[in-house]
Amino acid sequence: MSTNEVAPTNHLSDHQVTLEVNEQAVVLNVPAHRTLLDGLRDELCLTGTKKCCADGECGACTVFLDGVLVNSCLVLCVETEGQSVTTIEGLSTNGLSDLQEEFLNSGAVQCGVCIPGQVVAAEGLLRTNPHASATEIRDAMAGNLCRCAGYERIVQAIQVAAGRRVEIT
Amino acid sequence: MSAANDARAMGAPVIRYGGAERVSGTQRYLSDIEFPDAAHVAFTTLPIGCASIESIDTTPATTMPGVIGAFTAADLPAPMPRFGISHKDRSVIADGVVNFHGEPVVAVVAESPDLARIAADAVIVEWTELAGVYDLDSALADGARLVQDAALRTDDHKHSNVLETADYAWGDLDEQQRETAHVVENTYEFPMVTHFTIEPGGVVAAPTDDGGIEVHSPVQHPYLLQRILADVVGLPLSKVRVIAPDPGGGFGGKQTPRYEPLMAVLAQRTQRTCRLILSLEETFQLMRRSGCRVDARTGFRDDGTVTFHELRADFHIGAYADVAPRVMTKGSYVGAGPYRIPAVRVHARAVLTNTTPSCAFRGFGAPQVGWATESQIDAGARLLGIDALEMRRRNLVDLDEAFIRGDHEARADGRWHQSLERAAELIGWGEELPEGRGRGIAVGIKPGATSGLSQSLVRLLYDGSAIAYAGTSDMGQGARTLWKQILADELGVDLDRISIVSGDTTAVPFDLQTSASRSTVFMGNAVLEACRDIRQRVLDLYAEATDISIDSLEAAPGELSTPSGTLSLIEAAQVGLGSLRGEIIGQGTSRLRGVKGHPLGGDAAFYEFNATAIEVEVDRETGEVLLTKHVTVGDVGTELNPLQVVAQDEGAAIMGLGHSLMEQVLLDEHGCIRNLGALDYRIPTFNDVAVEMISDSIENHDGPGPYGCKGISEGALLCTAGAVGAAVADAIGTPVRQLPLTAERIWHAMQSANAEQPTN
Amino acid sequence: MVQYCRPRDLSDALERLEEANGRGRVLVGGTDLLVHVRRQPTEPVVLIDIKTASDLPPAVEITDELVRFGPTAVMSSLAVDPQLRAWFPALVDASAVVGSVAIRNRASLIGNICNASPACDTAPALLVHDARVTILSQDGTRSMPLTDFFLAPGRTACASGELVIALDVPIPANGFRSGFQRLTRRRGVDLATVSAAAGVTDRGVVTLGLGAVAPTPLLTAESAPIDCADADQVAAVVDELTAVANPISDVRAGREYRLAMTRVLAKRAVLAAAQIEEAS
Repeated sequence: MSTNEVAPTNHLSDHQVTLEVNEQAVVLNVPAHRTLLDGLRDELCLTGTKKCCADGECGACTVFLDGVLVNSCLVLCVETEGQSVTTIEGLSTNGLSDLQEEFLNSGAVQCGVCIPGQVVAAEGLLRTNPHASATEIRDAMAGNLCRCAGYERIVQAIQVAAGRRVEIT
Repeated sequence: MSAANDARAMGAPVIRYGGAERVSGTQRYLSDIEFPDAAHVAFTTLPIGCASIESIDTTPATTMPGVIGAFTAADLPAPMPRFGISHKDRSVIADGVVNFHGEPVVAVVAESPDLARIAADAVIVEWTELAGVYDLDSALADGARLVQDAALRTDDHKHSNVLETADYAWGDLDEQQRETAHVVENTYEFPMVTHFTIEPGGVVAAPTDDGGIEVHSPVQHPYLLQRILADVVGLPLSKVRVIAPDPGGGFGGKQTPRYEPLMAVLAQRTQRTCRLILSLEETFQLMRRSGCRVDARTGFRDDGTVTFHELRADFHIGAYADVAPRVMTKGSYVGAGPYRIPAVRVHARAVLTNTTPSCAFRGFGAPQVGWATESQIDAGARLLGIDALEMRRRNLVDLDEAFIRGDHEARADGRWHQSLERAAELIGWGEELPEGRGRGIAVGIKPGATSGLSQSLVRLLYDGSAIAYAGTSDMGQGARTLWKQILADELGVDLDRISIVSGDTTAVPFDLQTSASRSTVFMGNAVLEACRDIRQRVLDLYAEATDISIDSLEAAPGELSTPSGTLSLIEAAQVGLGSLRGEIIGQGTSRLRGVKGHPLGGDAAFYEFNATAIEVEVDRETGEVLLTKHVTVGDVGTELNPLQVVAQDEGAAIMGLGHSLMEQVLLDEHGCIRNLGALDYRIPTFNDVAVEMISDSIENHDGPGPYGCKGISEGALLCTAGAVGAAVADAIGTPVRQLPLTAERIWHAMQSANAEQPTN
Repeated sequence: MVQYCRPRDLSDALERLEEANGRGRVLVGGTDLLVHVRRQPTEPVVLIDIKTASDLPPAVEITDELVRFGPTAVMSSLAVDPQLRAWFPALVDASAVVGSVAIRNRASLIGNICNASPACDTAPALLVHDARVTILSQDGTRSMPLTDFFLAPGRTACASGELVIALDVPIPANGFRSGFQRLTRRRGVDLATVSAAAGVTDRGVVTLGLGAVAPTPLLTAESAPIDCADADQVAAVVDELTAVANPISDVRAGREYRLAMTRVLAKRAVLAAAQIEEAS
């Protein structure tokens, strides 16, 4: 006979973390294990950042941390003291961005759960590589899974948005 | 000004309803919705596929501050309530036995998700491993342990692990065999795969003030869930409210109830709102596609025409029936493909195993059997030295020709050769290929819904805006966009003045289900009828208000013609409604009754047909496959929204690459899932799509849906495996008959082929 | 049960490690560690986040002889430096396929090594580049070749009270080139089924670093000098050097396939290092 017994655990103690989220200072009181993803969703009600695999494999939780793309499921709230986070909500403060418009125009949005992460990742790509080729787009986006498999549509959306940005600058 | 006056919304690339919310992150999926003061649920499960539960000690959990309760089978009425669609076989919680890896043994309710998880892990369960059956061979072996207690079964096979069988036969197979010179006989395997919806599973259940229950679940079939919940908890339908937020991907995985009855019981027992959000790993243990092994014998004449086709298909369905028996029945019904075959014999079985209960998954059994049949056609082509496209040209049925014969025959309801020819043309069939490349073409077919009932209400409001109530779950296919398009054209209401209400059994009329690519046809027709009902009512009311004879009025899409000229339907409605204002309410019903004695319960409303052509390059040293070109052509009837058609078609095609090339649920010898989670269960990424992908459609306006449309959302997945398999076989000179076609399998196939032909 | 601390400096970090009494885990990128923490929610662990320790060595420091990577050197920083690419092509190629963009922005090179996965993507390249690890403890620092650092899956020579503060990779002698090859189950983001790095000196001496073919990443012996343009010589050397591979069968692949692929990837890595196009 077997049992599933595990070691007893202590109760959880909280840490106070001060950070900036979408250009607003926030203070979180969270246990050490609370991921940035759960902190955003559960403590700050910023549910645009989605939770799927929680292993850094799907990209649904992609956010900017100090301007750099990260999987928020693999960052702890306590690690972000003094840092700044930009989420999909932070990219949508002045109506839809060019990228978001092109996602819609290209038919890239189906069930939509992966889409906020896709938009954030695409925004990160265009900021670092404004002239990304289709191959570079695929490479850069390969960490963002879409089970509806709107991949062709998303590549098209990014290309059109990139073209619009290059025209403007 | 109305939309009808400038351009028709139908057929236009109208942007997805709810799209802006989805790109900006404001769309609320279940786990995004706040439930103040909710209690949180976590399950205790065992690291084993089959075990008897000897004892459960919940005190380590229940003594933790903040734990509300820990519930086991002992807390439920005896006998244990069981539920299901065709078989009421699934217990609300594990009842003395764990039948598959991940089946909940204890449900812990606590004040926080963390606490629920920790408390569920602290529960002590003593268990003894049982001789679980984890694959077809062990389940079918003599003396195999029965997955389901025979005493709880009433069917003919209850002393075996075969839950149901399906047999289809026509023609004189024996005679055809005698006269056939060329026969190929092979065994094909299709893996267990999981839906991997990006939104993991979840349920929220709450007691209501009137003693009822309210369950929030992102299901494809809210009304089915309502019925089953009412049955399990013993309430009238009127006291069971199902709220179904948009599923974040369904693909068939979110059709049937699993943890909802348990959650309803927990909510009743604790009198709290109980919230369960599953991890992706737990979601793997909630849904999967049935694996399948097919033994196939196929006879050919010299010219490549098929003389007979015999299939024995075993579906590896898992621990409970769910809808898997129907997956087996419906998938094997079209097992012989869309071909003109004089003699066919299909024997299919749904086999119980101690694995995740399988359910509907895009394609619904057709991809599993189609893999075998399409590969057999190619085997015949190789044997006879006939081109694979030519083989299909010679055998594919023409419009209105029967491809399923016997008592319940089915005839081609489309010009399917057009799809085949278009796919061949787009892939450049017959053009020379460089060394190391290969090409394959395949066709797939799936019956649409065989019965159905969709009801819709449409309200045309005084200010010229409108609301449609349509119970279809919008899980990514964009159903509501189409309803908007229908309203825009039929009522002349601007697209941005239309709202669609769905996902609430209290507010929205009945819809049987969102499945089988039915919605555009069934609910589409219901919405269309509701709009036409409104037009008639506007006409009547206008006549009454103006004393103009009804006979001199005529309603048309978006307008009303009167003796003094044409006015918009909205203006006519305003005249008719007068100073009291109010609204016009239209109702529509779309019903397809079943056919008694039909193996599928009725004739399919339409068939989804697809032709897929694929070109690959295989690395001869490693077996890795590079998709250089992927063409999919669907027989869609009419494209109501080209953006959505191409998105669904490409999506299905790429999803098909998953089970063709990489996806498989792997079990260890104790029935535990070895690749539980995203790290080792691989699905296609941006980089796994073909270098060049083309999605195209054939439009003959010959479907039964609005404006001649057909359902389209599964077609491109039906024969992906066949096309990939044929292309790989073409590239390496030998077929691989076991999916997925991993680099490792292809490498082994090349090694074996080399060993057999040392001179080559 | 997870505890977290952020030591002021490295000596504080060592004290925290000491206090944690074997339960301490040094946290930098967290891309592997936090996956483990989620899967073991009840395992008591103290995360010691050294990213902001005041006296941490810089992420990348270049001297006349070597490049010294500190704990905060992340994968994505390697790919963008043309100098690093010129010196360590295998390492840069390997770092460019670790996870996704978001993972590479966060994943620490040293963390990748300390995780000691047999399939660690960067290890084969670091091995052929003769990387050395510097370990800090209360007793001071010690240094060892990376070959001695890996002990078993998930286990390294860095003891529970110690931490790795630097990874030194010598600037290669003139004419030394490296190449990297990896096999995965799909084309997008994946873990390695087998990986191989090759180093080739100007005289044609070949060494191989191999991943996912043994309990730890392996560095092979040096070959006799060969002409890398001669396919037979390359094949012979690959056969000889890869004989140490002893892979297991697991969820990613079977042993037989892994063995065969070790040879294929090793050959390709040698050719990549020698910048020779393979005739198809």
